[in-house]
Amino acid sequence: MCRGSLFNAESWRGELPRIHDPPESNIMLTASTSELTTPAMFTAPSSGMVGPSAPLLEARGLVKHLGGRRVVDGVDLTCHAGEVLGLLGPNGAGKTTCLRMCYGFLRPDAGSIRIVGHDLHRAPDAARRQLGVCTQDDTCDADFTVRGNLQQSARYFRPRPADLAARIEAILEQFGLAPFADQFPETLSGGYKRRLMIARAVLHRPRVIFLDEPTTGLDPQARIAVWELISVLRGEGMAVVLTTHYMDEAERLSDRLLVLHSGKVRASGLARAVLGDVVGEHIVVIASTVPGAERVTAWLAARGAAPAKVLASWHIALDAAGLAAFVAAFPDLRYEVRAPVLDDLFLALAAEGPR
Amino acid sequence: MNLFAPAFAWQSRAVLGRHVRVHLRKWHTALLPPVCEPLIMLLAFGVGLGRQMGELTWQGLSLDYLTYLAPGVLAYAVFMTSFFQSLFSAYIRMHFQKSWEGQLTTQVRLEHVIWGEALWAAGMGTAYAAMVCVVLLGFGGIGWLDLYWWWLPVAIPLLFVCALAFSAIGLLFTALLPSMDHMSLPFFLVIMPIGFVSSTFFPMNEIPVVSVILQANPLHHLCEGLRWLLLTGTPTWHLAAALGLSLLMLAILIPIDMRLLRRRVFGDG
Repeated sequence: MCRGSLFNAESWRGELPRIHDPPESNIMLTASTSELTTPAMFTAPSSGMVGPSAPLLEARGLVKHLGGRRVVDGVDLTCHAGEVLGLLGPNGAGKTTCLRMCYGFLRPDAGSIRIVGHDLHRAPDAARRQLGVCTQDDTCDADFTVRGNLQQSARYFRPRPADLAARIEAILEQFGLAPFADQFPETLSGGYKRRLMIARAVLHRPRVIFLDEPTTGLDPQARIAVWELISVLRGEGMAVVLTTHYMDEAERLSDRLLVLHSGKVRASGLARAVLGDVVGEHIVVIASTVPGAERVTAWLAARGAAPAKVLASWHIALDAAGLAAFVAAFPDLRYEVRAPVLDDLFLALAAEGPR
Repeated sequence: MNLFAPAFAWQSRAVLGRHVRVHLRKWHTALLPPVCEPLIMLLAFGVGLGRQMGELTWQGLSLDYLTYLAPGVLAYAVFMTSFFQSLFSAYIRMHFQKSWEGQLTTQVRLEHVIWGEALWAAGMGTAYAAMVCVVLLGFGGIGWLDLYWWWLPVAIPLLFVCALAFSAIGLLFTALLPSMDHMSLPFFLVIMPIGFVSSTFFPMNEIPVVSVILQANPLHHLCEGLRWLLLTGTPTWHLAAALGLSLLMLAILIPIDMRLLRRRVFGDG
């Protein structure tokens, strides 16, 4: 691994990337972008008719039918410069379809998508020039080396990235890919393939980047490396849209979450607020085998609720008043009370069933 | 949307350029089939089988079989190469290598990928035909063939248009075939009927029912047109028929290919 890379072992000191500040200071982030970044990694946008506070990605009223089913139903989605938007939802929630509409794979049946002010379907070339996409599957070109992949990818953009040769060398260095530049992608580990995918997605200096489950299948070290990279992209002022099934990843990286369920937006906002809205303020964890546990199901049933079953334990979401009532009702039971995490969100959505 | 305009877009050329770049790196192995295939066919059938057959009669002319076969081999090379490039190679790039998906995450759209594949297959078919011309010239050099050689370069643009039409058939199967296990289907459904009912290998005009079917086969018109051109130096209506049928096929198949491939790649449409 090369010295000076973002992914040097030395650069990783055992700290996880911090949960970012909320993006209420988007204007400041945009204005200070040039101070945050090195010239090799970011240049000021050359086009895009958006004001400093306007979202770089703005999707309104997206609707999509696939196979006769309404898989996306009126979704609004925005992402600002320097913001990471985490798109969450159980399988079949419609997040991949939303993403594929936003980067132009699918045409929405209704709604509009603007990328840096360009309508994706009326001005697809201008809009796509501002997009970077890292798909869930590795789509590195097996017929080209790592460097060749970057060179070939640049040929799919007009105007071409400025100072391309220097840009490619800088990207190789910054993504820790320089030692493998002349190797073919099939010889790379999963983590380095991901780096190549993300490197390819940012080569042309896009302003909006989509990362579809970027760390799926990676070992912890490789995941952390990708997290660091996402932090850097955010710091450079890119709007980052991220889908993931890893709850810690979504909480750690995202400034804002958008939770989809059955094709609709179920909740959006800061992670804590989303959890509060969908799940509740407290989670009571109780072993289903503990004596007297059956009284809990009866107590919940009387309130029109049911516990979420996780292996041999029950997870019960309660607000403050509910927790107080629970404590009063079961003074003799042994249980744990903790703050909700995003796993609880998925359990809550699964309990809601299709809407 | 005009489905034919993207053929001239820079994105389609970028996709085409990618295939050319990859192919040029493998030129030493890529050169073998276009040289060896016609050489073997002309030697095995034209020379070997031709010696057993003696002379045959075509349009009132008495010919040896090698002379009859040579224009057919040229047309057949265009057909086979463009069809298989747009079927096997495109299928592998779409399904296994996922290079289509990689391209589609850029400014390249599906219509550009499809046109890039079609242009590449047609270009390969034409390039292979040029190699066959070199082989034919070799046979001419040793006195085994006597053709109207100066018509060869004139025929190249027509060969490209026909190759483009054949590649559109290949892309149709790329869109339809559920897996590699079904690759034998187009061989039996397309290659054998079009290839054998085409006057490529033997005259078929005089068989009553077949002669009607032949009129709808662009490969037949291409074979016969090239045969008239190279054996007698006369351009005939067969060349116009080959061109017209090819354009008709493109007009019909490209919109179908686009729709089916959109469904295949994106699950949409």
